[in-house]
Amino acid sequence: MSFVSIGFLILLFATVLVYYQTPHRYRWVCLLAASYVFYIFSSPVYAIFLIVSTVVTYGSGLLIGRINSGTGKQKYKKLIVVFSLLINIGILMVFKYADFFRETYSGLLALFWVSVATEAFHLILPVGISFYTFQSLSYTIDVYRGDVEPQTHLGKYALFVSFFPTLVSGPIQKSKDFLKKIDEVHPFDYAGIKKGVLLMLWGYFEKMVVADRLGILVNTVYENPSKYHGLESILASFFYTFQIYCDFSGYSNIAIGAAEMLGFHLAENFNCPYFAKSIQDFWRRWHISLSTWFRDYLYFPLGGSRCSKFRRCLNVLIVFTVCGFWHGASLTFLFWGLLHGIYQVIGLLLKPLKERAREAMGIKKQSIGYRIIQVAITFLLVNFAWIFFRADTMENAFLLIGNMFQFDPAAIWNGALFQLGLTEPEFIAGLLGVAIIMLVDILKKRIDLRTALMSRNVVLRWTVYLAAVLILMLFGVYGSEYSAQSFIYFQF
Amino acid sequence: MKKLIGKGLLFLFLLFTIFGLISPIFVYKTQHMGKLEEGLYLSDDQYDVVFMGSSHMNGGMDPNVIWNQHGITSFNYATGGQPIDATYYLLKDVLKKHQHPIVVLDVFYLGMTNQYGERGLVSNAIDNMKFSFNKLEAIRNCTPPEDWIPYLFPVLKYHFRWSSLQQKDFGFDYSSVYYTKGFEAGTNRYGKPISKWEDTDNRIDIPPKTLEYLNKIVELSKTENFKLILVNMPCDYSEPNQQSGWVDDCEALFNTVADYAESNQIPFLDLYDLADDIGIDFANDMNNSGHLNLWGAYKVSTYFGDYLTQNYDLTDHRSDSAYAQWNEDYKHSQVASILKK
Repeated sequence: MSFVSIGFLILLFATVLVYYQTPHRYRWVCLLAASYVFYIFSSPVYAIFLIVSTVVTYGSGLLIGRINSGTGKQKYKKLIVVFSLLINIGILMVFKYADFFRETYSGLLALFWVSVATEAFHLILPVGISFYTFQSLSYTIDVYRGDVEPQTHLGKYALFVSFFPTLVSGPIQKSKDFLKKIDEVHPFDYAGIKKGVLLMLWGYFEKMVVADRLGILVNTVYENPSKYHGLESILASFFYTFQIYCDFSGYSNIAIGAAEMLGFHLAENFNCPYFAKSIQDFWRRWHISLSTWFRDYLYFPLGGSRCSKFRRCLNVLIVFTVCGFWHGASLTFLFWGLLHGIYQVIGLLLKPLKERAREAMGIKKQSIGYRIIQVAITFLLVNFAWIFFRADTMENAFLLIGNMFQFDPAAIWNGALFQLGLTEPEFIAGLLGVAIIMLVDILKKRIDLRTALMSRNVVLRWTVYLAAVLILMLFGVYGSEYSAQSFIYFQF
Repeated sequence: MKKLIGKGLLFLFLLFTIFGLISPIFVYKTQHMGKLEEGLYLSDDQYDVVFMGSSHMNGGMDPNVIWNQHGITSFNYATGGQPIDATYYLLKDVLKKHQHPIVVLDVFYLGMTNQYGERGLVSNAIDNMKFSFNKLEAIRNCTPPEDWIPYLFPVLKYHFRWSSLQQKDFGFDYSSVYYTKGFEAGTNRYGKPISKWEDTDNRIDIPPKTLEYLNKIVELSKTENFKLILVNMPCDYSEPNQQSGWVDDCEALFNTVADYAESNQIPFLDLYDLADDIGIDFANDMNNSGHLNLWGAYKVSTYFGDYLTQNYDLTDHRSDSAYAQWNEDYKHSQVASILKK
C-alpha cells in the first residue's frame, strides 16, 4: 500500500479514529492490526518474513535477557545473537542479493575462462525488508549489549517491528526509544493531529509536486544516456540530486506526520542535507536514522574513530561500502557507497593541509564566503556520487559523466531542455518547487512553521490548508494521464 | 474527537465543492462536450427524435438533413467510444428534458466484451453530465471502482492540463455544436472497398453486460413510454472482429440482435445490410473503415428520414413559425455547405 493512495489515507484516518477511542491497554492491538492490514495490502505472501523476523528477534531477545539476568548460560549469548543475525540477514541476502552474488560468481569464473550457465532467481523483494530487518536486528544487539530490557510482550514487540507509518521505508526506529513510546499514554490531541496532517501535506508536496516531476526529466535522460549531452546530462544529474532528496524526505515526512497523528513523535530523518559543509556533515543530515544505525551497529563496533588513522579510514570505507550495498544489489550502489567513503578518507587525510592553507590565506572559518564554498563543494561531490546511485549500470554512469563535457550552450536558448519530458511550465514548476523546499529548509531552522501557521486566524489557516491540498491535487504528478489522443480517437 | 470529525468533514465539503467548481475548466473541450452541454442543458428545443450511441451514430445521422427533408427535429447525442451502459445513463438524462422522443439506438457497442469501456472515451459522455443521482449511478456502473472519485471530480483526472490550459477552457464556445445538432462527420474519403466475407446465419450471445443494459433500455422505453429503434450503421466489421475486448463475429451478433428485436417487437434497421439500397459506396462514403463520412451520412440520414416519415406519425415543422430558427440553423450546417458546392 503506497503512501500516495486513497487506501493509505483511509487506513490512517480510520486507525486514528479507532485508536483514540480504544482504552490505552488495548491500543497496541489497534496499531498492530492496522500495521498488518497495511502490510498485507502491500505484500500479502511476504508477511510471513515479517512474522519470522519478529518471532526470531523477539525470542532471541528473551533468551539473551535471561542470560543477562543470570538465569541462562553465558556461552550461548553470542550464539543466540549470531543466530538472530543469520536468520535476518539471511532472508535479506536471499531476496535482495541472490542474483547479484550469482552474477558475481559467474563473472569471476569467466575471468578464468570458466563458463557457468546460471539462471536468474528474479525474486521479488519483500516490501520494507531492508528496514524492518535492520530495526529488529538493532533490538537484538541492544538487548545483547544490555542497553534495553527485553520486551516480553510479543504483541507490543511485533508492533515495534511493524508500525505501519515506518514499516516500508523507515525512519528506522531505535528499540530503546520506540518500545517506550508504545507504553506511553497518548491522549487525544487535536493540535497534535493537525500538526501531523500538516507535516504529511508537506511530505506529499515534496513527493508528488517536486520529486515526481523532476523524475520525469531524470528518467528521460538516464534511460537513454547516450542520446543526451552537455547541459541536458548536467541538468539530469542535478535534478536527480533534488529528486531523491524530495522523494525520500517527502516519504519520511509523511511517515513522521502519520506517526504524530497517533501520538508517536519520531526524530527527523533529514536535516537540510544539501546545506552540509562536508561529506561527514552530510551524513549527519541525510537519512539520519540509517546513518545512526550504521554508526551504532557497525562503525563503533569496528573501532570507530578511537583508533589509528589507518584503521579509522578503513572503518569508514567498510561502513560506506556496506551502506552502498544495503541500498541495492549492484555495482553502482556499491561504488556510490565506496565513493562516499573515499570522499571522507580524503577529507580526513587532507584536513591538516586544508586548515594550514586556510590559515595561510587568512580566511576565517566562520566567514560566509568560506561556508558557501564548503557547502558548494560538498553539494557537487554529493551530486557527482548520485550519478552512480541512479544509473542502471556503471557504463551508463560513466557515459553520462563523459557526455556532460560535450557542452552545447545553445541548449540554454534553443528549447532543448524542454524536450526532456517536461514542458516549459512544468520545468519552471519543478525549479520553483525545489526553491520552495530549500527555502523551507532554511526557515525551519529558525521557526517552527507549523506552530506559526496554527497560531494564525481561522480564515488564513483554512485558506492555507485548502490551498495546500489544491496545489497538491492540481500540480501533483499522479493518476493516469488521459492523453488528448485518447479523446480524439474514434471521434468520427 | 467530535471537533476533529466535524472540522474534517467541513474541510472535505469545502475541498470537494472547489473541485466541483473548477472541474469544468480542466475537462477537454471537445465537440462531445459541446454537444452534451448544448443538447442536454443549453438548448430549449424539444426533439422528436434523439440519436444515441457511439461514434458510428455520431458521424452517421445528421439531424439537419432530416430537418431539411422532413421537418423532423432531432439531436445526435452519440459520442465516440460510448459503451451501451453509458448510453443508458445518458439517455436517462436526455429523457429528463425531452418527453417521449423516438430514441434511435446504435447497437455497435453491444459487441463490447470488456466490463468497462475505454476510460478516455467513457469520459466523453460521463464527464459532461451534470451532477445528479443518475450521474452517480453512471459512474458506479460504467467505471471501475478506482476511477470513481476522478470521474466524480474530473479535475483529479485532468489536473495535468494545468500547464496547457487555453482561453477556451475558461469559456468554451458551443455555437458550432448548436448548428450541427450534435452531428459531426469527417470529410475524408476512405478509398477502399469493404472487406468481403461470407454472410452468415450464425448467432452468438450478446455479451452479458451489454445485454443487461440493452434490456434496461428496452425496459426504460416501456416505463418512460418512448419508441425505440435499433440501428446498425455501415462499417467494415473485419476490424472490430479482431479487436480484443470485442466479440469475434459482429455479423453473428447482429443476427442475434435482429432476433432480440423481433421478439421484443422493436424495429431494427441493419443499415449495414441495407447499404446497397441506401446507395452507400464504401470507398467514397466512408471516412475510414468504421465511420461514414459527410456524404455517406447524408445518404443514411436521407434514408432514415424517409423511414421515419413512412413508419411514424411525425409532424413536419418546416412551415411552423415556431420552428423558423431550425431553417436558419440549417444554413450553417455541414451538409448545407457541401450541398451548395
